[in-house]
Amino acid sequence: MAKTVLKMILNGKPVERLVSFDDTLLDALREDLGLTGTKKGCGKGECGACTIIMNGKAVNSCIVPALQAMDAAVETIEGIGTVEKLHPLQETFVDYGAIQCGFCTPGMIMSAKALLDKNVVPSREEIKEAIAGNVCRCTGYLKIEEAIMAAAEMMQSQQGK
Amino acid sequence: MLKDYVQPKTVDGVLASLRQGNARIIAGGTDLMLDMKAGKTEVEKLVDINCVDSLKKIEIVDGSIIIGAAVTHQEVATSKLIQEKAPVLAKACRTVGSLQIRNTGTMVGNVINAQPAADAAVALIALGAVAEIFDENGISYLPVEELYLGVGQSKIDSSKQLVTSIKFPSLQSGQGSAFVRLAQRGALALPMLNVSVVVTLSGDKVDWLRLVMAPVAPKPVRATEAEKMIQGKQVNEETIIATANAVASQANPRDSALRGSGEYRKSVLQTLVKRGLIEAFAEAQK
Amino acid sequence: MKKTSIVGKNVRKLDSVEKAMGAATFTTDISLPHMLYGKVLRSPYPHAKIINIDTSEAEKHPGVEAVVCYKNTPRVKFNTSATSTFTIPPLQPVEDQYVFDSVVRYVGDEVAAVAAESMEIAEQAIKLIKVEYEELPAVFDPLEAMKTEAPLLHGQCKEGRNIPGEKIHMEMGDVEKGFEEADEVFEHTFKLPVQKQAQMETQAAVAKVGVDGRVTIWSTTQTPHPSQRILATIFGLPYSKVRVLNPPYIGGGFGVRIGLSAKAEPIAMALAMQAKKPVKVVYDRKEDFIASDTRHSGYVTVKTGVKKDGTFTARKMRGLLNAGAYCSWSAETPGVLGAMGLSVYRCANQMYDGHSVYTNTTPGGAMRGFGNPQAMFAIESQVDIIAEKLGLDPLDIRMKNMMKPGDQWVLPYKCQSSGLEECIKKGAAAINWDCRGKVEKGSTKKRGIGVGIGSHVSNAWPFCGDYSNAYITIHQDGSVLLATGVPDMGTGTITTLAQMAAETLGISFDKVSVTFADTESTPFDIGSHASRTCYASGIAVVAAANDAKKQILQYAAKKMEVEEEELQIENNNVLAINNPEKQLPLNKVAVDAHLEGQQFIGVGKIVPENAPPWLAHFAEVEVDTETGKVKVVKLVAAHDVGKAIHPQIVEGQLHGGLAQGIGYALSEEIKYNDKGQQLNDGFHKYMLPTAVDIPELEAIIVEAAEPSHPFGVKGVGETGLVATAPAIANAIFNAIGIRFFEIPITEEKVYKALLNKENE
Ligand code: FES
Ligand code: FES
Repeated sequence: MAKTVLKMILNGKPVERLVSFDDTLLDALREDLGLTGTKKGCGKGECGACTIIMNGKAVNSCIVPALQAMDAAVETIEGIGTVEKLHPLQETFVDYGAIQCGFCTPGMIMSAKALLDKNVVPSREEIKEAIAGNVCRCTGYLKIEEAIMAAAEMMQSQQGK
Repeated sequence: MLKDYVQPKTVDGVLASLRQGNARIIAGGTDLMLDMKAGKTEVEKLVDINCVDSLKKIEIVDGSIIIGAAVTHQEVATSKLIQEKAPVLAKACRTVGSLQIRNTGTMVGNVINAQPAADAAVALIALGAVAEIFDENGISYLPVEELYLGVGQSKIDSSKQLVTSIKFPSLQSGQGSAFVRLAQRGALALPMLNVSVVVTLSGDKVDWLRLVMAPVAPKPVRATEAEKMIQGKQVNEETIIATANAVASQANPRDSALRGSGEYRKSVLQTLVKRGLIEAFAEAQK
Repeated sequence: MKKTSIVGKNVRKLDSVEKAMGAATFTTDISLPHMLYGKVLRSPYPHAKIINIDTSEAEKHPGVEAVVCYKNTPRVKFNTSATSTFTIPPLQPVEDQYVFDSVVRYVGDEVAAVAAESMEIAEQAIKLIKVEYEELPAVFDPLEAMKTEAPLLHGQCKEGRNIPGEKIHMEMGDVEKGFEEADEVFEHTFKLPVQKQAQMETQAAVAKVGVDGRVTIWSTTQTPHPSQRILATIFGLPYSKVRVLNPPYIGGGFGVRIGLSAKAEPIAMALAMQAKKPVKVVYDRKEDFIASDTRHSGYVTVKTGVKKDGTFTARKMRGLLNAGAYCSWSAETPGVLGAMGLSVYRCANQMYDGHSVYTNTTPGGAMRGFGNPQAMFAIESQVDIIAEKLGLDPLDIRMKNMMKPGDQWVLPYKCQSSGLEECIKKGAAAINWDCRGKVEKGSTKKRGIGVGIGSHVSNAWPFCGDYSNAYITIHQDGSVLLATGVPDMGTGTITTLAQMAAETLGISFDKVSVTFADTESTPFDIGSHASRTCYASGIAVVAAANDAKKQILQYAAKKMEVEEEELQIENNNVLAINNPEKQLPLNKVAVDAHLEGQQFIGVGKIVPENAPPWLAHFAEVEVDTETGKVKVVKLVAAHDVGKAIHPQIVEGQLHGGLAQGIGYALSEEIKYNDKGQQLNDGFHKYMLPTAVDIPELEAIIVEAAEPSHPFGVKGVGETGLVATAPAIANAIFNAIGIRFFEIPITEEKVYKALLNKENE
């Protein structure tokens, strides 16, 4: 299989990995880089479980060619918080009961993060629009939206400081 | 099997890359990646156009709006310029798939994919948009309306040709537009029907109207008869209803096991057209 | 009930931080040294005999390490649903499936599988398998499949053509007499669609065979112990040599994983045994759609006799379900459908008959609600029809007839508690029932409000066997390990079980850890299904905790020179109830015991009774009469859950159920074409709701404590969609005066019905 080197800034650190030309970014993350936090729910851009942030935008990594991430800044669920310091979204997803099976969670949080990174005062409609491409079969979305609202407030007060 | 992936920085570079090997242009890649995985497309080399700066612009030149080939649906949907000067297109682009898909999928790619219900294409045809095409023979222009060959088939050959941009006149005061869509759910859904309207009024009369509907045939359809009929008519309810009734003759939606019977869609189409006309007239009269 | 300090609190869920960080392991995340990738070859035909299968090219393909088909896998029949392991005699489980067979019975049926170094190679290799099929006649509709000319899918069945298992019959009172007493008799038939669980993680398994022959299977199953039994039986191994576990998380279930539907586990195991390397089988979304069990489609007929004042005098019900190609849960589901349908209203004379019918479609199996949503769409639609005809308020007729504790019903256990009346009242207030019909009706957008009520179970008995075990081990530092066989597929099981353990033991929540869903480290439990974990497994956990507590108190009584009965554990301290000065920290007690050669190990072994949770759903809808589109504006679900151990988890269960209920009512359906192929085999074609399709949701928790559970708990996992569809359908009727006898109520159906009404 023909391979080449993919270079990107992954979760703030430069990485280089040999990938196949026809790898998707999801393949590269899960298989080549061992970052299994990003999930595959469909492999066709229809569920959002594989959502990551590339150059500031939420994308379905299952339909992005890995090599399109060349030199890009890529953020995955593994890079946004630590046990000691969870990202506000991780914090509120936990506290608001926004997580059931957890399979949609990484993608959902990344979609929400892409939104809040640009807009910490989102309306309910903007939140819905941001996660409309993330299917969750467990929660009915309500607690997810509440968690995102709460995280936005946390981020507002953090930024206020 | 895929053996190469290049990211040229110029249009010439793209054309040069296309010349060698079994190559294809990739922009957002949304559909192409899927086709490749499913074995539907055999490609040896992908030519990624995302590094060509000139293809990433949305600009207005002499009253014409130009949207580059690497511009995504979301960039179109959120562009202030488009929201003001071609709201029908902003709305159409906003309904595509999901935010993630709109963030990678390009508007031009969507048009070249030639799906019968492509939201952006329906709006672009209503705007009278023209594609700028580069190939070995130089530059040529083709109305978006004429790009379609059939379902999923475009006149553009992405292994040889590059659509660099799509261009259309910006809407002026006295003009109005609308995009109306019926889908089975609010996101991640292809349209059961979509309708785009662009109208120019002079006073309280219709100067001209462009009305495009899909998926009612293998490609988006201009309701030319209704367009003709409405010309010069007074803007009122009667005109709206008469126009809505007139579109039926040109719409032949097929029965879709997934998205409704032809009979249903043909019938509801009139409601959508009516709503589109009301919205477009209101905008034009603002 | 005693005041509680942990039970009833929204403690931080034990699994949530890991999941929020992307650090939680699912089956699809597992990777082992030398692991191979398995890919399944599936039938393109709905019904065919395999005349010849040639795997030699695939075997020779570089990178391929195992190829399996019916020729080299055990000829042992089984049932993929866990039912086969707890069918109560004299009933016998219907075992009609092999790992691979020489006959395929639906499009997507497993024909062969390959294990290779990479997924790409495995995908190439299955294309090299040459299969010669002889097509057989196929049948897709259950009514057709019962006709004498229909092809037989599994030979002669004793109850009738293509009928798996036993027909279900239930009866009480004298139905004919009841109809005679009635002033009016209503009879309607309702048609139900195929709904798909569409859990976010597809069916998957990783199998590893040790050099000593021991097998480990990481699986997405909801029932590790029953799945162990099925796998050990297929491969002729002692149960002790087969370890089935979740890794430990599952990306949703909703019933599809009760057992090993779609057979990823036995296929991975067969491949691993042949290759002598670990094999990972992860189905893609399409495979998950076409090959794993669905909710049963079918027909439900209800005939009800009523007095003028609205009193029900007789009810007769019939359920006919499409089993699909293999039995799976098709022998049990008609029973639950009937039993639930007959248990919501008091009626002295009732009768039910039901069964399933084999067809050449994807097997019908367990999905959240298990027959109950089918029953209640019919019953609750008809109750509204009756109310309308008799000029009664839909709430009044329900209040008048609803089951109350002590009433007679068809079930072998008692209804000991009900908060249904409170549910109806609170729900009605939340939806503004008083404004029903008063809302101003716009010309093209019409609003309406509707209700549906229902009940469910808190475990699987009497439809299957049901029992639970649990261990509680007290460490020397006073912290606790709880071992339970149930998975946590997102329903919060381990958190609520840990809460009940901590509460019972009098220790703080953060001292409890849980090992779960692993046949090697936990005692037998039938698993996570039938809304049973909090109830049945909960009773076992409390029993284990009480057992451990007893040992602690016995030991401490000697040390403290106090009578055992006078001791209690509170806040990690053993103390004398009447003399709280006198106390010993639990860690001191535990370490002392340890130094004297004793560990406190509690065992809980229980056979649960059962208990009905109660629910009332309210919907407000807006119908666009020009397109037929129905928009749900608000949904209220008021549920009597007995006791909410963790209210936030309960709300989450209700919200999720409501969302699936909206889909069931309005948009979700799998259809087949005339070649037996699923038309809606992916997320883009299967219209489950996205975030923008969800209306305002309100979950109301009502707590009418259930005497058969130590904390008063009743089941809640499935109840959220039991009455959602009829509430929506009734709201649509309220809005436009049209009754739908079939779901999903799509825009097209509404539009056509409106046209027909106009033309009348
Ligand atoms: S896995 Fe990428 S969108 Fe579903
Ligand atoms: S939490 Fe299970 S899919 Fe969202």
